[in-house]
Amino acid sequence: MRAIKIAVVGGGTGGTLVANKLASELGERIRRGEVEVHLFTDRPEHYFQPANLDIAFKGADPRRFVKDERELVVRGVNLHPNAVKLIDLNNRRLTFNGSSLEFDYLVMATGSRAVPELIEGLAETSYNFHTGQEDARRTWEAVSRFERGTAVVLVNVPHKCPPSPVEAAFLLDEHLRRRGVRQNVEIVYATPYTRAYPTHSIAEVVEPLLEERGIQLVTLFNTDYVDARERKVRSLEGEEIRFDLLITVPPHRGAEVVTASGIGDEEGWIPTDKETLQIKGYDYAFAIGDATDIPISKSGVVAHLEAIVAAKNVIADIEGTGVVHCYTGRINCPLEVGEGRALFVAGTYTSPPERQEPSRLKYLMKRVFPRIYWQMVRGRFETVFDLYLGKPYTTKGGSR
Amino acid sequence: MRHVVDARGSFCPGPITELIKVYRKAQPGDEIELLATDPAAKSDVRAWAQKSGNEVLSIEERGDHFAILVKVVRR
Repeated sequence: MRAIKIAVVGGGTGGTLVANKLASELGERIRRGEVEVHLFTDRPEHYFQPANLDIAFKGADPRRFVKDERELVVRGVNLHPNAVKLIDLNNRRLTFNGSSLEFDYLVMATGSRAVPELIEGLAETSYNFHTGQEDARRTWEAVSRFERGTAVVLVNVPHKCPPSPVEAAFLLDEHLRRRGVRQNVEIVYATPYTRAYPTHSIAEVVEPLLEERGIQLVTLFNTDYVDARERKVRSLEGEEIRFDLLITVPPHRGAEVVTASGIGDEEGWIPTDKETLQIKGYDYAFAIGDATDIPISKSGVVAHLEAIVAAKNVIADIEGTGVVHCYTGRINCPLEVGEGRALFVAGTYTSPPERQEPSRLKYLMKRVFPRIYWQMVRGRFETVFDLYLGKPYTTKGGSR
Repeated sequence: MRHVVDARGSFCPGPITELIKVYRKAQPGDEIELLATDPAAKSDVRAWAQKSGNEVLSIEERGDHFAILVKVVRR
């Protein structure tokens, strides 16, 4: 009998976790040779990306936040350290490194990528704290020697991790105060949204804090281009901001393999059912995390919770239970506001985030997470997350 | 030229972000029709149009959603 082959593309939070959940819960079938789980990742390292803020604005040591992907996969996962070049969804085949794999189930966890080149002048003038450790380290070098002038934190859309830009503004302020140079620096926070945070209930908390810290808020600022010579950024709305230090979250796009395979929209996001997480038109292919076109935040917590749901749906189909697991849209993103306080942006598809006051306790919860992350992606602590967040899915259907 | 942007079911900031995506490629004289269900989109689009020098021609209720028609004046 030919084994059922499950291919997971992408070795970030979502891809690693979904592969581990599948291998753990289908362990018996894997041992009997009935199922194979294949995880493809285009880089050997796995980064804890939320720590890029700590690297960029607190000078944290990047080595604390990276591990070899091989240490993170459980028994039963076939790890392929290869970039997938092309996916043929209709014929259930993917190609990599001159080889190919025919799959029965596919989970796309290919993430998103920052593309500063989409905006004229942005790549050569700005520091991107947000995407990779090396960029975050360069940001720290620039921030830690900045003495006076105008520092602009510029948000471009779409991007992953909605809280991170405003966190950057707060942490920049905190860093400059610690060094005693804050009075020489004007900080401008420029966002394309109508408020300081896209969710109004959270903006109501964040905006007074920006004012209290003396951070100037500029809304409805959609970057048109950056004038590198004059050191100013201009918006589609006709506004200009001069800068001495430009810190940015670049616009993001889906993975190149998505576009190359013709399975994404014009920006490379995969059309995905927001509940079942199936790629639209395919009942054997799923997409999770940043890779989807679901109108929900692109964040680690969403990748994590969607990984659980996708794994359960694949397993239910293999086992023929007829149960369909529907993602509730649960989000729970920490937002650090400086001075050792944070809040969580928490909601679902049907209950938008409610106002929360920042607290020391929530900050401490955020600080604990990097320590448990590496166990979480191995598929542990799920009970704890269920207790804290509630199950991230509802079910429908039954035995068939 | 008229562009239709369907942002129904997308919550803040989805609709305004979708509108801007089309605006980036539009020309003066074009019209953008934004279909949305999130009520916050109405005030968001009005605020954006005022700041950017573009014009909201109409906001029409259509049962389970509404349509905002924007004329691109400046680009």
